[in-house]
Amino acid sequence: MANKVVIYTTPECAYCKITKEFFRKNIISYEEKDVSVNDKAREEMVEKSGQLGVPVVDIDDKIIVGFDKEMLSKLLNVK
Amino acid sequence: MYDVIIIGGGPAGAAAGVYSARKKLKTLIIADSFGGQSLVSDSIENWIGVKKMTGLELAKMLEEHVRAQENVEIKMPEKVVSVKSAQGGPASGWEITTDKNATYMTKALIVASGGRRRHLNILGEDKFEGKGVSYCSTCDAPVFKNKTVAVIGGGDAGLEAVVDLMPYASKIYLISNKELLTGDFSTQEEIKKSDKISVIMNADTQEILGDPPPLGRTSTKGGGFVKGLKYLDKTDNQIKELAVEGIFVEIGSVPNSEFIKDLVDTNQAGEIIVDHKTGATTHPGIFAAGDVTDEIYKQSNISAGDAIVAALSAYNYLLNIKKQ
Repeated sequence: MANKVVIYTTPECAYCKITKEFFRKNIISYEEKDVSVNDKAREEMVEKSGQLGVPVVDIDDKIIVGFDKEMLSKLLNVK
Repeated sequence: MYDVIIIGGGPAGAAAGVYSARKKLKTLIIADSFGGQSLVSDSIENWIGVKKMTGLELAKMLEEHVRAQENVEIKMPEKVVSVKSAQGGPASGWEITTDKNATYMTKALIVASGGRRRHLNILGEDKFEGKGVSYCSTCDAPVFKNKTVAVIGGGDAGLEAVVDLMPYASKIYLISNKELLTGDFSTQEEIKKSDKISVIMNADTQEILGDPPPLGRTSTKGGGFVKGLKYLDKTDNQIKELAVEGIFVEIGSVPNSEFIKDLVDTNQAGEIIVDHKTGATTHPGIFAAGDVTDEIYKQSNISAGDAIVAALSAYNYLLNIKKQ
């Protein structure tokens, strides 16, 4: 079964772009929530991750803060 | 055994890599990532030959250029933790150990490890990093929508952080330990027009205050956010408190030279002292370039140029030790 992947981003954040590129390269479909315009998503992100930095990635309720290639690869079974 | 190992993947590391490879030297680059400190920049408008690009675009250009070379291996992400002289005579090279517990041997070394953001080194700073303390206003400013925040640092970076925060934060304190703001004058004028912004001068930030993490949660996850800061007002010598939910620290950078300090001379700021004609450090066979050195102007274009000097000098050094 495909993973449910959500990424919380801001428009100018480099590591958000690097993370999305990682998804595209590995053909992972994801939902993006831009917290600069989506107030509800911003609260959700802070609640889920317990912190105030982007990007935050939610993979089937497992939370990753920042671009952590090793952890992303592990959770998404990417070689 | 490599001919040359390059530590760093910023403009300096990449430039040294391309030039070493084109001299047919067996080259290894060990880096955290490509792009260096510019990676997080949303707009670079002074890289010669490109009118405008993001830090990420620069990083990709550098990486592609290096990967297009033969003779270059890349270990990334990987961090050097120590450099030791190899057993044997003075020209027997170096043994480099990384955080992946790997060891690499090389005949010549180019240190292009750049700089990293300077921290305040005060109580609460590490504890509340990510919990209100941020070092990337470009990334995190929107998360502080309708919140009161402080920016520490009155130079260009501090002023830029204020500009990043203006569309989002409800109130911004700009705090400097100096008597005057030193950053770009037109940006100063721009931000002083906003009634959201209060400038506090002559203030030494001394402590970051916040909630303890709630019960049942570890300190790395959940709760325990920034609530304020304490500063010494040097005009009346009083300790004062500000209630803020975000603190952006913009007080310059420090060189990544710790792992090499025992082998080469550094100045008071920790920068590696180099001969600017050759990129040579005080230790023969070790060269350095870019922001980790005592180069006055910390600029990507200069780092790339300096690294080319270092790479060509490393090439000549290798020719000379071969003759001996």
